[in-house]
This record gives sequence, structure tokens and C-alpha cells, in this order.
Amino acid sequence: MTIQAAIKIEALTKRYGASTKLALDDLSVSINPGEVYGFLGPNGAGKSTTIRLLMNFLQPTRGTAKILGYDIVKDSVAIKQSVGYLAGDFSVYPKMNGKQYLQYLNELQGSGGMSYVNALAKRLNADLDKPLGELSRGNRQKIGIIQALMHQPKVLILDEPTSGLDPLMQEEFYKLINEAKQLGTAVFMSSHILSEVQRICSRVGIVREGKLVGERVIADLVSEAAQTFNITFADTVPLSELKRIKGVKIQNSHGSTVTIHMKGKLSGLFAVLAKHDVSAIAARNLDLEEMFIHFYQNKGARQ
Amino acid sequence: MKAVIKWTLWQRRFNIVWWSIASFFLIFINMIFYPSFKDQAVQLQKSFENLPQTTVQFIGGSTDFFSPIGFLNSQIFFFMLPLLLGVLAIGLGSSLLAREEQNKTIESLLARPISRARLLLSKATAGFVILGTVTLISLITTLVTSRVVNIQVSMVNIVLATIACFLLVLSFGAIAFLFTATGRVRGSSIGIATAVGLGGYIINSLAGTVNWLKVPSKLLPFHYYQPEAILRGTYEWSNILFFLVITLGSGILAWLSFRRRDIR
Repeated sequence: MTIQAAIKIEALTKRYGASTKLALDDLSVSINPGEVYGFLGPNGAGKSTTIRLLMNFLQPTRGTAKILGYDIVKDSVAIKQSVGYLAGDFSVYPKMNGKQYLQYLNELQGSGGMSYVNALAKRLNADLDKPLGELSRGNRQKIGIIQALMHQPKVLILDEPTSGLDPLMQEEFYKLINEAKQLGTAVFMSSHILSEVQRICSRVGIVREGKLVGERVIADLVSEAAQTFNITFADTVPLSELKRIKGVKIQNSHGSTVTIHMKGKLSGLFAVLAKHDVSAIAARNLDLEEMFIHFYQNKGARQ
Repeated sequence: MKAVIKWTLWQRRFNIVWWSIASFFLIFINMIFYPSFKDQAVQLQKSFENLPQTTVQFIGGSTDFFSPIGFLNSQIFFFMLPLLLGVLAIGLGSSLLAREEQNKTIESLLARPISRARLLLSKATAGFVILGTVTLISLITTLVTSRVVNIQVSMVNIVLATIACFLLVLSFGAIAFLFTATGRVRGSSIGIATAVGLGGYIINSLAGTVNWLKVPSKLLPFHYYQPEAILRGTYEWSNILFFLVITLGSGILAWLSFRRRDIR
């Protein structure tokens, strides 16, 4: 049985007015229920255009997209029963307080009581009594997150959701996304924070100059990405054995210490280490940044 | 739809109060001095009868300023009330939707299961209610003050003249609303609606003496607004259709334009 994609974008294209340049060019992406999809790219690459097309704030020049099987243009109202949205430049009514604003949106959503709203506000430590115009950017962003999640949508479309949040609140946001994911919610989010993408997304698409230039599963990236190990042996470094391991590159070796760069599965390395007396081993965290920068800067074909 | 109307009215609650207070004072102050004018009506009337025709057209099209109907027409219904309510209507028409778009709060609304048509209708309804409330305060002030200063004019005709004025300014507001719905900036929508309103008043006033303006004046709403005739009970009510056609036509065009355009 095939799972119906939560979001299915097909050849979506957008040209603004009489501009000769396409803001989005032939984008095709499919996102399954329970999947968190990271949408990356430099400023002006077409991330927000894609999101605003999905929300039907913009009209596509060509192509189609469906959310939960509904067409984004024809069935826009029906779609919004099940979609939570957070804008990149989230704007509020400055004179309303959080409670009034969320009550207003809750009435529009028709999602019943405010108990879940209050629970979310408690978790995010959001101030619902202060006028929104007096809140800091981070505190306003909390209100934005609450309004996106308050009706427990099946699809979340988030444009840089953690911007302005402090690390503790980022952590709480990741937990909320993880909980939504467990319930089968599909999440489509743009972000500039690569560590965040690596942590919560299952797949990423990289967009540049309106085109999708790369799409990868995070687990594959992790397994493909090079990791660095500093290993200290009790006696001499078994260089010839290490060199024979698939994916290993010796960076440097001094006396009993060696630094290696390794791609792929680690089992080969540990098999060699098990045969020797190892006094210390240190691994450096994975850093996907270089790879994303490669996509950002170079013209890459879709992979 | 109810939620948008309710919260729009809540956001504009102080506007409604201040506009109501302003309309009360302007009407009250204009009418309260009627007894002084009435005592000198004969002398004043003679001097006003010598005014040039163009000037007469600008102040109501009649040289009867001091009879009860003439006074109400020249002091309230011909210029002051359309100006007061017209400014409010154009202000509402050009801001109810445009301010949401300008401040980007419209995205929070359209991210909910509400169609663009419903949003448009809700905003228009909120505007109608605000304008209606201030008009009602103006009507009550006119009726009560006219009794206090003993202006003997049929109350029904005062009500009808106020309704005609409401429909006239509603058409100005609808034009402003139409232009913001097409995505024009607030400034240009205010400009266009004001040109139709104020321009209509000037062209209609000049058309009494400048022959070639007679035809263009018929294309503007002010031509069909004749408060003196309403107060005298001689108004041709089919004229009201012009305001209704403009208002409904603007509403339909606003919907056609807004339903499928990009939100900036």
C-alpha cells in the first residue's frame, strides 16, 4: 500500500509580475506523514516563496501542489483546517495581548477551547497578558509557535521557526516537533540553523536561485559525512592496518597518536582498535555545514 | 466570519467613540444657533439672495438658508454631514483590509480556514457597522437638536436624508475598499475615493453654471444626492439606485480582484 504524501509539490513555478527571473523554478518535492523536511538555502533562494505558495498567499505561475490530497489553490480553505503555519516575519496586532490574539485565531480556526493553547503557553513560558507590541522578538515568536500548533494540525509549515528563541525554548520547540512527528504530523520547515536541521529533520532539500539543487536523507548524510577521530595507542600506531579500512584517510600521525578522517560505517575501525591497546579516543562532532555550503555556492545537479 | 467582525470592531472601538463624539459636537454646534439666525432671517435672506449663482451652488443650490428646511440643508445635509461621514467612510474603506496587508497580519487570518471572499465580506461588514453607528449618532443628534431649537421639519424626512447621506458616503468607502482590494497602496485608494467624493461635490456645484459639466456631473454620486428635495419630500428615490450600484459594483469587483491575487 502506498502512503499518500502529506505534501506533494509538482513542478511548482513562480514568477513575480513582469520579472524575467523565476522566483521558483520547477520545484518538485514530496513529504510523507510523520516526516520532518528541512528546506534550506541562502537568502532569496525561494524558500519563503515556496512556503507562501503552499499557503496560497501567492498564486503559482505553473505547476501544482497538494496538501493531504487537496489542491493548494482550489481547496485552500479545506487545507487550512489541518495546517499550522508560522511566517518568517511573524506579525501581530501590537495592541492585543497574547490571550486576545490567540483567542481570535482560535475562533477563526473553530478548534474549540483554549486548554491546549494554555498548555502550550505554559510549556513555552509565554506571557499571554502583555500587549504583543511590548514583547521581545523571542517572546513574540513563542506566540507564533503556539498559534501554529494550537489546533494540533496534520501538517506544519514553518518559516525559520526558532529565530529569536533562547536555547531552552529551542529545546522545548524541538520536543514539540518531535511529539507532533510521533503523531504523524508532516513538517515542512525552512531554517538557516544547520545543527537544528541535522537534529530534527529526517530529510533536507536545498534550494538555490529558485531551483532544488539537492535533496538528501539526513541519516545518509550522517553516514556519508566524514568524522574525525584522535586516537592514542599504548604503543605504536598500526598505520598499515588503519589505512586498509574502507573510508579512512590518515590526517597525521605522531608517535603513538593518530588523527584520522573517516567516512561511512565505523565497524571496520573498531575491529582494528579492538586488536590493539588504545589509551584514548576522541571524536569530533559531525559538521554538515561544509556540505551545505558546497550546495549553496556551487551549481550542483539534483542528487 | 463573526470572529473577524467582532475583533475588527474591538480593535476600532476607540475610533467609533471618538467619531461619535465628534459628529455629535459638530452637528450640535451647527444647529444650536438656529434661533439667532431665525430672528434675523428676513434681513439675512435678502443679503444671501444677491449671492452669485456659483456660490449658491457650492452651499446647497438654494438661496433658502433660514427656513427650517433651508437651514438643515445648508448647515448639515448638503456639506457637513457628507464631509464628516465621507472622511470616515474613505478612511475605513482604505484601511480595513489594506492595514492588515501592510502590517502582514493578513497572513495569520488567511492561514485559518476562512476564504478570501469571507474575509473581504467580514471586513466590509465591520466597516458598514462602524459607519452605521456614527451615522446613527449623527441622526439622533440632528433629530434631538432640531426639536430643542424648534426646527419644524418632518422627522421622517430627516431620517430619509440621513439614510441618503449614508448611502452616498458608503459608495465613497466602497470605491476606496475596491482599490485596496486590488492591491493598491492606501494612499492611492484614499486619493481616488476622495477625488470621486470631493470632485463630485465640486463638479456638481459648478454644473449649475457651467454647461459642459452637466454631463460629467451625472457620472458622479454627488449629483444624485439632493438633501433639500428629500427634506421637502420631493426627491426622486430612484436616484438612490446609483449609490447602490456603485457600492455593490465596487464590492463585486473587489472580490473578483482579491480572490486570486498575490498577497504582498
